[in-house]
Amino acid sequence: MWWKIASVVLLVYTIVAGFLVPLKSGIERVEPNAADANQLVSIRLFGYNTFFARPASEPIRVWLYYDDERALRAKKVQVVNDTIMEAVFDLPATLPDNKPFVLLNALVDHPTAGASLLPAAFTLRRVDTLQGPLDRAWTADPVAQLHLQEGFSFPYQNILYETIRNTYFHVPMWFVLLFLFAASVWYSLQYLRRSRLAFDRKAAAYAEVGILFGILGLTSGMVWANYTWGKPWSNDIKQIMTAVALLVYIAYFILRGSFSDPEKGARLAAVYNIFAFASLIPLLYILPRMFDSLHPGAKGNPAFGSQDLDNTMRLVFYPAILGWTLLGFWIADLRARYQRLHDKAMGLE
Amino acid sequence: MGRCFVVPLPSNKRLLRTAMDWGSLLPLLHKEIVLEWRQRYAVSGIVLYVVSMVFVVYIASAKPTPPVWNTLLWLIVLFASINAVVKSFVRESGARQLYYYQLAHPAVLVLAKIVYNALLLVVLSGLALVAFALVTDCPVQRWPLFGGTLVLGAWSFSIAFTFISAIAAKADNSATLVAILSFPVVLPILLTLLRLSAAAFAPLELSMNPWPDIRNLLAIDAILLALVFVLFPYIWRD
Repeated sequence: MWWKIASVVLLVYTIVAGFLVPLKSGIERVEPNAADANQLVSIRLFGYNTFFARPASEPIRVWLYYDDERALRAKKVQVVNDTIMEAVFDLPATLPDNKPFVLLNALVDHPTAGASLLPAAFTLRRVDTLQGPLDRAWTADPVAQLHLQEGFSFPYQNILYETIRNTYFHVPMWFVLLFLFAASVWYSLQYLRRSRLAFDRKAAAYAEVGILFGILGLTSGMVWANYTWGKPWSNDIKQIMTAVALLVYIAYFILRGSFSDPEKGARLAAVYNIFAFASLIPLLYILPRMFDSLHPGAKGNPAFGSQDLDNTMRLVFYPAILGWTLLGFWIADLRARYQRLHDKAMGLE
Repeated sequence: MGRCFVVPLPSNKRLLRTAMDWGSLLPLLHKEIVLEWRQRYAVSGIVLYVVSMVFVVYIASAKPTPPVWNTLLWLIVLFASINAVVKSFVRESGARQLYYYQLAHPAVLVLAKIVYNALLLVVLSGLALVAFALVTDCPVQRWPLFGGTLVLGAWSFSIAFTFISAIAAKADNSATLVAILSFPVVLPILLTLLRLSAAAFAPLELSMNPWPDIRNLLAIDAILLALVFVLFPYIWRD
């Protein structure tokens, strides 16, 4: 009983915190986003959830920075409103790299509202006639002593924006699916050991709810992918593997239903359940690591956990996993009990 | 006669231990081969199936690019394998199977079937390769790797399909059931095989290191084989 209440409490917390906590401030874009070297240029920065106009005792600092040592600080800063500001940069003649252009990150540091950043915001193009040692302007005023944003908020990530909240709904589906299928295999093992139909009913109920969560994970992922990857289905290896995992369990139900003798069907379905689950482990753990994936944590992408999941997100993410898992077990439990009553009414038990 | 009715239940450890006799593996294997030879029409049917499938594929795509060639060859091998293995447990009567189960432990029995099916699949996939390479341009450059992949593929398919066909043989509509039960299960195997054989298309110095894939495949095979040994006694018990 207590765990059912816990599941409701955790999920209410997940939904409330997941939707109401604001994102950290960030910079959406800068205009213009490219310029030739060696000129005076005025850049307009567009913020997201920023409070540029908030009163401040110290000056607002704006940088276009290349790395920790080399950064250009704006000569003049003018705030238009909370989300728009203009900064004037004196672009030096030389570049910190030998390439024909460098990508610079835009960084705004507001003394009371905190810092916000846009990676690779600005392209500085080399003017071929100008060569020579690195300009003094690059090292005169490096990025230092940033003011961190206070308050409880989720990270601001370009591309993701507000969809980062889907982390609490899409990702836990995956955990719940695995827990439910593992529970299903556990009950299949119990069935083979003791030959009691109650275990078979439980195995089937857990597999059924596992399929439900798989479909939820797939669809919530497709909605997310539509915003971040541009289309709902991109044949990503993890999408394919999840679809195949669902096929396995649909096949399990077809096998279970194709016997007139329930005891025989239960036994063979239990055997297939164990066999299929064991072949799913390589499917779900080894293979996605060997193919390129658009998901975080795969080749060429930042690892999930270190960069994408900061401490405020953890405060919602872990309760979300627990809450969804308990809900999944609750539904499966109800399903098994309903099936028992059904079997009793049909005179099967 | 009295002994005939003592069907060893898998939960009965005493019977399991006494019956674990690997010496009966070779006679059982011999029995499978003789049986196949006596029913030659079945295996000729599969051979004809492979050849006509190669021909259909050739007509449908006359000049496949190497990735397409790879996919088509493995599809031919996959379907030929399913058709070859599906009959493993249905071609002998239930009474005769009961008799075999008196003579040998189920694990030995299923191993004999797996080894026999693997041999059959090696022959069949070799045949598919020769026929397909004859009618299309063969992009393979590293033959040892490609041949090894075919053998490994035959062995892996044999384990998965033999076990699934043992399950499906207990149901009525077994041919459809084998396909829907086994395709999701063999998919990781098939993906790894496709990667491995694609590696055999590039010359040695350009291609990727095949050993991680081979190791994965062997690990999958080991898991599946262990499961077959543990779970098979539960299937034949009726």
